[in-house]
Amino acid sequence: MKKKIELKYKIDMVMILVSVFVLMGIVGFSQPLVIAPLDELETFDTEVLFTIEKGEKLLIDDNLDFTTPDEYEVEDGLKINLKPGKYYWKVVGMISSEVRTLTINSKVSLEFVEGETDFDVVNAGNIKLNVDIYNGTEKVGEKKLSPGEEVVGDGTKFIGEQNDD
Amino acid sequence: MNKRFIILFLGLFLISSVYALGVSPGRTTIDFKPSLERSVNFEIINSEGKDLEFGLSIDGELAEYVNLGNRKISVSAGEDKKTFSYDLKLPASLEPGLRTARIIITEIPKDLGSSESYVAATLAVATQLHVNVPFPGKYASSGFIVYNTEQGEDITFVFPVVAKGEFDLTSVHANIDIYNKANEKVASFNTKSISIKSSDKKELVHKWNGNLSIGEYRADATLIYDDGTLNLERIFSVGSKELELQEITVNDFNLGEIVKLEMLVENKWSEPIMDAYVETRILDEGEDVVASFKSSSYDVEALEKEVFVSYWDTAGVKEGTYASDVAIHYGEKVSRKNLEFEVMDNELVVIGLGYVISVDGGDGESSIVVVLVIVIVVLVLINLLWFLIIRKKIENFKGGKK
Repeated sequence: MKKKIELKYKIDMVMILVSVFVLMGIVGFSQPLVIAPLDELETFDTEVLFTIEKGEKLLIDDNLDFTTPDEYEVEDGLKINLKPGKYYWKVVGMISSEVRTLTINSKVSLEFVEGETDFDVVNAGNIKLNVDIYNGTEKVGEKKLSPGEEVVGDGTKFIGEQNDD
Repeated sequence: MNKRFIILFLGLFLISSVYALGVSPGRTTIDFKPSLERSVNFEIINSEGKDLEFGLSIDGELAEYVNLGNRKISVSAGEDKKTFSYDLKLPASLEPGLRTARIIITEIPKDLGSSESYVAATLAVATQLHVNVPFPGKYASSGFIVYNTEQGEDITFVFPVVAKGEFDLTSVHANIDIYNKANEKVASFNTKSISIKSSDKKELVHKWNGNLSIGEYRADATLIYDDGTLNLERIFSVGSKELELQEITVNDFNLGEIVKLEMLVENKWSEPIMDAYVETRILDEGEDVVASFKSSSYDVEALEKEVFVSYWDTAGVKEGTYASDVAIHYGEKVSRKNLEFEVMDNELVVIGLGYVISVDGGDGESSIVVVLVIVIVVLVLINLLWFLIIRKKIENFKGGKK
């Protein structure tokens, strides 16, 4: 009798295990495969390469609720330019992927480059800068520089800081 | 191509980096708490890979609450970035609003290399410190975004609201009035209500489909929160300022003669579009231009169609299929269509207009979904069959045997 009860429960267990494995397989098969970027990636690079398989759309938002996400069709070599900030992103297909975070750290950087006749000051960072230009201790000018933009080095000191415009 | 390459090659020699200085983050933002004490990190980026020395200084209204510690710091050639910190000790109270300071990092030049690359100037970068001091009671600030849309689609209204007061906002909603260009109110509606904790930012999003006709509109919004209101305004458009080529008609075509092409163009915008013309380029297999001709300029009334007439001199043109680029120029915009002209002795067939190219791909995915749903249904049925029928029958059978 005891042996027969054990057999009945064994069949129950097999049924449950088979069901769980099949469901896990279906979920695994349907869920988008998110390869890159890694979760919680922090970078200075504003161009981010997304590597995704089995997904239809990439959603990126600055809030976890994805209230107003930017949508991108998933394709090979999908590169997206993002401003510095913290982003939440996920891939939707038959079912949705996990939500990952991505942080583009702001970088304030100035660079002197040598031209033919003079020196230029270049915004070598990844955000818009406000550059104060000094001659000695006197402030003689102010210039807003987008990333990659330059100004002729007509001063003795250049102070760059984040600009909000 | 070669000339371009030479200029680029020379440019690489003529323009070279002398030195650079970087700091991250550009800004650290902190919510004010009375007598808050904390350490704030920042990184100096040594992209040149040199031994560098820096001087630290601070200015701004929060300067007195910041302790920089050692004002002379250094980074060695092997470090591509190095983390430093300053100590912040806030007072018991500050004036409400945004309070700021900036920590300035100035490179102290040591050896700038050859005399040719010497610069008699200094670079400095600043990392900003922003402290948000809450306003007394309840206080909200918000932006207002309205996304342009196509006719018939939902219009999305977004309010990114920040609770800048001491207390949480328990109810934030908006009333939105829509006005047309004649300043007539065409719609009015309310959004749902949300709550926002003090110092938090949340988006109040409302989607609305009012079936507005094509054109430009103004959204006047009143954001209503517990203790106050904010008035916000945005202009948005339904549809886009666009001319679309609908049809090309050719009557009495004879190869070798001048052909009259009548091109039907539709204005999809709610206002007239002036001075538009069509430029057609006929290309051979090598993408070289065989012929290029323009129509006269036309004005197209709002949401109307107009026939643009072009003339093509087909003398010397051989029978065959030619690729063509038909471009409608209006204002600073160009609307293009790539077509094929099949030229025969007594007939010209335009291929590529009026066809809808169906998009494949969805079928494959939907069939996978169907298969997966069938698998799940079968699985559920097998489980139900076992637990509710077969198992019970076995038990009953055994009970009967006993």
